[in-house]
Amino acid sequence: MQNGQGWLDRVVDRLPETRLFQMVARRVLVPYWAWRTPVAPQPGGPPFAAQPGDNLQRMMNLVMPLKDKSPIGRARAAMAVAQNVDEIYAGLNNVGTVHFARFVLVDDNLCMFSVYDGDFTNYIRDFIATIGSVFDGVVALIEGGDAVIPSESNVEAFIDWVHAHDLYQAPDFSTDLLTEQAATGAGAASAQDDLRLLPRDLILQLHANPNVSLGSGYRFYPGYSAAQVRHRLGVGW
Amino acid sequence: MSTPPIARQLVDSIIADFPDHAAGTRPVHTIGIAVTGSFTASDVARSYCVAEHFQGHPVPVTVRFSNGSGSPTEHDGWSDVRGMATRFHLRNDAATDLIAMTLGEFFTKTVESFLAFTKESRPVAVSPEGPWQKIRDMLALKVPLPDPMPGQTTSGSAGLLNFANRHGYAQLSVFEAAGIGAPVSYARASYHAVHTFVVTAPDGTRRYVRFSWQPVAGVRTTDPTAPPIDKYLHQELAERLSTAPAEFTLMMTIGETGDALFDPTRPWPAKRVRVVMGSLLLDTVAADQAASCEHISFNPCRLVPGIDVSDDPILKARRDAYEVSRELRGGTACPFHGE
Repeated sequence: MQNGQGWLDRVVDRLPETRLFQMVARRVLVPYWAWRTPVAPQPGGPPFAAQPGDNLQRMMNLVMPLKDKSPIGRARAAMAVAQNVDEIYAGLNNVGTVHFARFVLVDDNLCMFSVYDGDFTNYIRDFIATIGSVFDGVVALIEGGDAVIPSESNVEAFIDWVHAHDLYQAPDFSTDLLTEQAATGAGAASAQDDLRLLPRDLILQLHANPNVSLGSGYRFYPGYSAAQVRHRLGVGW
Repeated sequence: MSTPPIARQLVDSIIADFPDHAAGTRPVHTIGIAVTGSFTASDVARSYCVAEHFQGHPVPVTVRFSNGSGSPTEHDGWSDVRGMATRFHLRNDAATDLIAMTLGEFFTKTVESFLAFTKESRPVAVSPEGPWQKIRDMLALKVPLPDPMPGQTTSGSAGLLNFANRHGYAQLSVFEAAGIGAPVSYARASYHAVHTFVVTAPDGTRRYVRFSWQPVAGVRTTDPTAPPIDKYLHQELAERLSTAPAEFTLMMTIGETGDALFDPTRPWPAKRVRVVMGSLLLDTVAADQAASCEHISFNPCRLVPGIDVSDDPILKARRDAYEVSRELRGGTACPFHGE
């Protein structure tokens, strides 16, 4: 953009778009800075909040790596869900705080995305009580899942396991990443002293935590609970 | 009542940030254009606020769009915050203003820190970062300093960055401002009145709220890699209005207990309840730009029954600072004149 640039300036300005630089960044720079200024993965799920608006329609984004990563393994996961739809839906009805829930296969992962009201721990406790048996069958197909089933006998471990597979929800406001990382002692948080390092902190968080939810998401309508929505629509419960 | 000294200090300090500031012009948002139109409140607005302009009848408005800089030289294509000051013309020559900008938050949360901020953002000579330094930055996964705009010789960016690095509350605004870009049209940007106001409903319920204008045409900025064009926004707006009105929706976000009610450096989460308060149709470039654009004096505290200022210290300070600015440039007197 600047007038009067020399050839070296123009080359350097285009450097980040070159395949050579991108390869160097991927193979050398990111691992080097991850070693030099380590960043621990941020915890999954939405951050703690006291405000009512933040405790309604919260997202859970479970990404669970399959043991069997072949098409047969993915089909087995799909069947585990499909053969228990009635039990899953009935259980979710009984939980009563779930707006939406769906299972998705993404690459070698079985994902469960849901939107719920209230406290995460309570949600998972209700979940175990209502559809724990079905979910045990699903979790048995997931790496590390055997250690937490049957869920009814391993409630706390199961909750921790789900929490660990719930995606970190990056803050809605960019620079809050720094305060979050500092608050959890999750790394160098070097951009707190130099804002130009914010992209590096983000890169290193994504290096440690490849799958994240970008912010808390858009809402067209205000945050009503699932019970309020049903009540106002006159569809009972 | 004499003008509080801090207001004069603020205005003087802001003016000092623009060495080419022209006497008799606004200290910031100096380049602008005024348009007229009308605002019509939504069906639900009156149930949240008893103020006259939220009762549903069309209200004539004057809107001044502006570039954020205090320089008298127009650089539309430079990355900069833009302003949208709206005057609602009410019955019996009453009026109320709503002042908004494209940045979603303010730089500081106290008057004293804002004064320090303005002092620290004094422009200094600026030149492009050398290629070797850029390479060192890239190797550190660090954003290289942006090249100055064509013809730009001074900048306050380094001071802003230093301030933000020492004051966490300023980091979001400085970071967002650095990448804010240039709108393709004044009618294609969102504008935020970053302060909290208190609105009163017919039943007496008082709510903490923040307002923002959302463009119906959508938000769009220019290509940041293309050479910037110095003058296009005024002509674009005139051409746009000659074919169809520009439309904005006024959104009101209701704060919750625990939100940063009096801290303009903190935007509220997008999850808060948002109410559509009305629609703004702008259809005419004001014929008398001297009266409608240059001499008109907006003030964020020019309010009417039904809307009050909150305890946001920056909002309260702006009342007197805008009045000082008006006096310095000989603007049309506002209701606070002589208080």
